[in-house]
Amino acid sequence: MSSKEEFNQISPSEFFYRNRDLAGFSNPTRSLYTAVREFVENSLDACDHSGILPNIHMTIKAVDPEKPDPKQYILTVKDNGPGIPSKHVPLAFGTVLYGSKFGLKQARGMFGLGATMAILYGQITTNKSVKVKSNEDGKTRYDFELILDIQKNKPVILKKEEKSSSEQGLSVSICLEGDYAKAGTKIRDYVYQTSLITPYATISFDDPKGEKFHHKAIIRVMPPAPTIIAPHPYGIDVETIRRMLVDTHYQIPNVDDKMIEKIRKELGMTKKKFNYNDIMKKADKKWKSLTRPVRVVIALMSFLQADFEKLQRIRIEDVDLRNNKLVYWDYSTSQTIAVDMETENPYYKQLANTVQGESLIHFLTKRFQRVGPTAASEFCKFAKFKTETRVGNMSDQELVKLSDALQTYEGFRSPDPTCLAPLGEIPLEKGIERRFQPDFMAVVQRTASAYSGFPFIIEMGIAYGGNIKSNGLKVFRFANRIPLLYDEGSDVVLKVVNDTDWGRYKVRSDSASMVIVSHICSTRVPYKTVGKENVADRPEIERELRLALQFLSRKLSSYMSKKGQAEMAKKRANLYSKYLPLIAQFCTELAGKKKEPSYQKMIKEEIVIEEKTE
Amino acid sequence: MKKKQSKALKDKSKDLVEILKKHGAQVYEDLENGQFPKISIPNRSISNIIYDKKLRQYILGSGTALRSSKNTSQLRSFTQLIWLAFFANKLTQQKKSSTLRDVYYSSQAFEVDFEDQGESDNIIVDLEAVLTKPREEFYVFPEERSSIFGDLTIEYTIPGYEGKKMNLSDHPDGYAIGPSLTSSQLVDTSAELVIAIEKGGLFTRFIEEKVDKKFKSIILNTGGQAPRSTRTLLKRLHDEMGLPVVILTDGDVYGEHIAMVIKSGSANAAHLRELTVPDAKWMGVWATDIDKYKLPTIPMTESDIKRCYDLQKDPRYQEGIWKKELEVFLKIKRKAELEAFSKYGLTNITDKYLPQKLELAKSL
Repeated sequence: MSSKEEFNQISPSEFFYRNRDLAGFSNPTRSLYTAVREFVENSLDACDHSGILPNIHMTIKAVDPEKPDPKQYILTVKDNGPGIPSKHVPLAFGTVLYGSKFGLKQARGMFGLGATMAILYGQITTNKSVKVKSNEDGKTRYDFELILDIQKNKPVILKKEEKSSSEQGLSVSICLEGDYAKAGTKIRDYVYQTSLITPYATISFDDPKGEKFHHKAIIRVMPPAPTIIAPHPYGIDVETIRRMLVDTHYQIPNVDDKMIEKIRKELGMTKKKFNYNDIMKKADKKWKSLTRPVRVVIALMSFLQADFEKLQRIRIEDVDLRNNKLVYWDYSTSQTIAVDMETENPYYKQLANTVQGESLIHFLTKRFQRVGPTAASEFCKFAKFKTETRVGNMSDQELVKLSDALQTYEGFRSPDPTCLAPLGEIPLEKGIERRFQPDFMAVVQRTASAYSGFPFIIEMGIAYGGNIKSNGLKVFRFANRIPLLYDEGSDVVLKVVNDTDWGRYKVRSDSASMVIVSHICSTRVPYKTVGKENVADRPEIERELRLALQFLSRKLSSYMSKKGQAEMAKKRANLYSKYLPLIAQFCTELAGKKKEPSYQKMIKEEIVIEEKTE
Repeated sequence: MKKKQSKALKDKSKDLVEILKKHGAQVYEDLENGQFPKISIPNRSISNIIYDKKLRQYILGSGTALRSSKNTSQLRSFTQLIWLAFFANKLTQQKKSSTLRDVYYSSQAFEVDFEDQGESDNIIVDLEAVLTKPREEFYVFPEERSSIFGDLTIEYTIPGYEGKKMNLSDHPDGYAIGPSLTSSQLVDTSAELVIAIEKGGLFTRFIEEKVDKKFKSIILNTGGQAPRSTRTLLKRLHDEMGLPVVILTDGDVYGEHIAMVIKSGSANAAHLRELTVPDAKWMGVWATDIDKYKLPTIPMTESDIKRCYDLQKDPRYQEGIWKKELEVFLKIKRKAELEAFSKYGLTNITDKYLPQKLELAKSL
């Protein structure tokens, strides 16, 4: 449903240029971090969707290392993904809002505009071009140098080269004003945490100080990719319904050369010129095999008694079913003409159906997920609509009423989570194990749930002891496989963690070395701010988080009590081996004996018993 | 008489060693059989302290607590108790005296881990309760602060002095009641009475005024609340030498209770017998004496008054002078010290007060 023109009208790059704070480019520190995120996430998304195990290499280099921060840096992110067709490269990187992420499925970025924002920011601060190298087939690499024309929202190609290269993938390099001294910690955290939640990816990073960070992939299997699905009724608004109505097969097709070509083809009349009667005859014969748009055009032609030539000269203005009039504009005479439509005409019904659109029940069952015929007719009863109401005829008020009812009706099944891509318990576990080598760990993936029509899945892991360096509880927050690093305090995950009474689970949260990894997957993560760094506390999400944490805490608790028992046993054995010899010594003298009693086996037995219970 | 006493004392010491050996043998046997040894200790908590009207003292009820070496929270204190038994056995056999503090420091050679002296003191009381014998019997003695003077001949039993005799009227400052005195034989006396007095100053005055001769008495300074070795000595003077005991204290509620403890013991020592002189008599200073002898007084403090109310709940204060004097103290809310008599001359107490009270005591 994406087309470039549509979005050009909504948001030109100038709008983003003026509002760059919104996208996370407010200052050199934040901008460097955001740019890193946007490119890395684009690469990961591209690999995910093509089923390629990601291998991403990032470098940040100072243009002049001697200068103090903030200064110019060159940021390069190279992946092994599918690359971008060379003809799309200029548009993809030189146009704001060019992208393919508009379907309803989980992806890291929302609209794919962040990368362009980064390029835009780089261009504004350094006046340097972006270098893109794309290799789709592992044979040919196309190298571009582009700048953006901000006013026109258009790319300007400075250089284009074709080279032979066996390395598939995409490499993007920009020059931008940044402050690595300040952003460095966050960027390293970001790379580290991304590797934790993407254990199937190899991510390496060469930082400006010459340090190299290499996070090798831990697993060789990718979690299943999400699928694009129809929206759920709960997540809908009036504007979306209106768009769904427009974006339908039930439109009067635009009759252009292409359309006529199509009709000819379907009727098998490609060669010769045909008159009106020939067309009608042929159409009647082949009616069953004709596609819908062709049928509609045939119907129109029958009412207008028009052949292809005439059809090309006019534009249909209105199909007025109330008065049974067909109104059209004639280019050759420059006037509006209305013709009566005979209701007996066999093509009348075809045209009428098309104009009125599908019936409501059909619209609901076909265009939404989780709505079957029963649910749809139940809903119509609830919303006081007739099931056979034609959606094309609905007034604005009716649309509002429909939209409201869709969100208040409680009979729909919960959203379909197949559009989500949780990491999965095993990869999550492997990731945690590799990073922390904890003494204890547990992971859980909750079943899918939904908040206001958006499905989501909570995944959570807990790790204790081992190589965990932190003293106290550390929470790693992720949303759609993106680490959330800023604004920790106001996040719903933190709220749930802080509400937990750890004492109940035999954990001293202030001193224990403990890590919680929380991953929220959703088609729309409810971020509190545009910065997309903290998740709002929706009751449904909070509930799922709580249940996940409780489940894990109970497991931890049972580990802790086992550990406690083992420690007790050890302590006890120590006490016995300390005091029993003393008792033996004293009582031997008290009793006036010469030889000490043989108590040694008591100490050993005690240890053996305790080891078994452990 | 002398021979008989001597034998009794030896038996006592032998007795103790036997009991210790018996306990030691039991622990030994348990260990040999692969059993965790345990020991039953009379429960010394308030709920298990009851007043025995027949014995006229506090005793422990039938409640006992089992201390087991298997229980890790008791293992340390069990070890400490066995160590103390071992140590007490040594002391008794070698007749070496020690103090509570000595015991605490001696323990440090054995890694039995007393955290502080309070803990070792507590274990000592535990052993007393197990043996039902005061610690003086296993040669743990209090700091000496009480003393004795009068015509009493004793014979030492401590190593190096065995058979040596001594008359307790030879030194005008009196004799400290220490281990050697407590463990000696009481041989002979011309006295007909023991006067126990609360304060050292008055003790000296009594010697100066020859109260021992004038009233044919042995004078004993309790130094406040009488230590248990002193109480044991008082009991022996009463039981072995047939001497009545009278007690002279300050005219306040604490003085009254010092007399009561000599007479019938304390709740603290409910696990012990043979520390009391049930026939001992408190002859003053009574609350009623304050008015009678026009003594200068001090007002009672809050804690004095509280102490009165506390003692009113004690079963021993439910009758006779004990009850009556307590009520008067509460009524007048004033108290008088023994030294108050000095207002009427330094010898007023020995010249006037003492004879009158001794006369009165005969009828008590």
